[in-house]
Amino acid sequence: MSTPVSIRPRGNPLSLGRLAQDIAREARAAQSEGIVADPLMPVGDSDAAERGVGRALVGPVGSLGTVLLSGPTAGGGPADLELHLARWGALAVDTATILDVLDSSEIDGRGGGGFPLRRKVDAARAAGHPLVIVNASESEPASRKDATLCTLRPHLVLDGAALVAKALGTSDVVVHMHRGSGMAGPLRAAIEQRKAAGFAAADSLSPDQSHTVVDPAWRLSEGPDRYVSGESSAVASSVEGGEARPYFTTSPLAVHGPSGRPTVVSNVETLAHLAVAVRLGGDVWRAFGSDDAPGTRLVTLTGAVAEPGLVVEASGPVTLGDLLQAGGLDHPPAAVLVGGFGGTWVDGADAWSTPFSRPGLSDVGAGPGCGMVGVLPPGACGLAETARIVAYLAGESAGQCGSCVSGLPRLAAALGDLARGRMRRRGVRKTASIADEIFGSGACGHPDAVVRLVRSALDVFAGDVEAHLDGGPCAGAELAPVFMVPGPRRIDSSGGGWK
Amino acid sequence: MSATIRIDPTRCRGHAICAVFFSSGIELDQWGYGKIIDVELQDERALKRARRAANACPNGALVVEEALA
Repeated sequence: MSTPVSIRPRGNPLSLGRLAQDIAREARAAQSEGIVADPLMPVGDSDAAERGVGRALVGPVGSLGTVLLSGPTAGGGPADLELHLARWGALAVDTATILDVLDSSEIDGRGGGGFPLRRKVDAARAAGHPLVIVNASESEPASRKDATLCTLRPHLVLDGAALVAKALGTSDVVVHMHRGSGMAGPLRAAIEQRKAAGFAAADSLSPDQSHTVVDPAWRLSEGPDRYVSGESSAVASSVEGGEARPYFTTSPLAVHGPSGRPTVVSNVETLAHLAVAVRLGGDVWRAFGSDDAPGTRLVTLTGAVAEPGLVVEASGPVTLGDLLQAGGLDHPPAAVLVGGFGGTWVDGADAWSTPFSRPGLSDVGAGPGCGMVGVLPPGACGLAETARIVAYLAGESAGQCGSCVSGLPRLAAALGDLARGRMRRRGVRKTASIADEIFGSGACGHPDAVVRLVRSALDVFAGDVEAHLDGGPCAGAELAPVFMVPGPRRIDSSGGGWK
Repeated sequence: MSATIRIDPTRCRGHAICAVFFSSGIELDQWGYGKIIDVELQDERALKRARRAANACPNGALVVEEALA
């Protein structure tokens, strides 16, 4: 793993070490100009929220800083190809170096699964004719980081995909997103810019040893805007013309996708990190994070924060408290929902000092998931919030696996009863046993995520559970929701709606 | 011997025939869907029963895989 990464950029105006130095120099300059007192500058236009795109905080390195989102942003809009190349230089790297960087950086999947990208690439390299799918299906209703990244930095995402395609020796890349997500526009525009600049050389592959990175033959694909449709097997199925529902398989997608081809499905943030790591060097990229959390990580702040939907890029040894401070908090909230609606509740006081890293979060039973961090304020009812979220997630089941179909509505009903103060102690035990029965039984991780959410709620809000059993719903249960859950869907009686 | 049995939960409709043919390896959850007790099949007897259960499933929901020797 300690193979030195050597990149010999050919025709690249930036030498490798210099870019890292430039980013560091920007940080120092910002400090000397006194910007450090308030290092975070919002980027993105005011209509962004209406288009489902978050604004992003951009600041110097070492704070809630910035690598992916660093650099100039033209008028708050997407970095066009000219700006992108001026900052990062053209890609010039051979396949061995790409693999070395995947190794030394240990880039993990940022869609929620956290699976190492290197392992997917290795599995797909072993067989013939692989397909690369850029997963821009941002399913978590409160997450904005993928939309923000694709809007502000589409070329980093596409660079990352081109690198994976080169490492796999394929020119087949599909960029897949939810229909109506607003990401197609900026991504399509970016692809057009690259074609106009002569990046694309259809039907040509760059040999492994060459430092040329040829753009693959991009295809854009859209699927239904359903929660489970962002899951990798559902994405692969949708791209191959099937239904956007997860499916059961005994072999990984990277070995055997829905069409039989090795299929690497990777989240857009994961790919953007690869584009940066290849230029900085895997070790340098790693060092922007901490020992436990390599590189930087995009985080969407939501719930009771100053600006719900704000995207920040965490770098260095960041704690959940640091992230909450970026959201305008100066002391611990009641609780924090970490990792998405299909995430985990963490007690607010515990959360404040918890490192935002996989091991740190694991110590409090959580994981980074899609990078969503949601704040439950004092006085709000965590059980009522959980009940609404579980009802939403139960309705988002693909309706395929028995325990998901049978179990999730029961869990949702139980949480509803508990929140309304209509449950007795026996009911709480029964709820826990339904959760146990569901866990591990589905074809995808959806039911397990709901179970984890419910278990963490019963644990973190144990005091509230007692209060609801004894005295009915609390005052907080009557308040307006903190977490905005999409409304119920019109059920298509034909069972369709998955294409 | 190295063989495994898995259930495709997207196909299982709770007919429960598998739990009759391979009662030592498959149980039913509280809604009647099949649950594999141990993915690894321990011996030839278990493999034989697992195959019978798989063949009997009207939905083809059971997957029995044997490693190539």
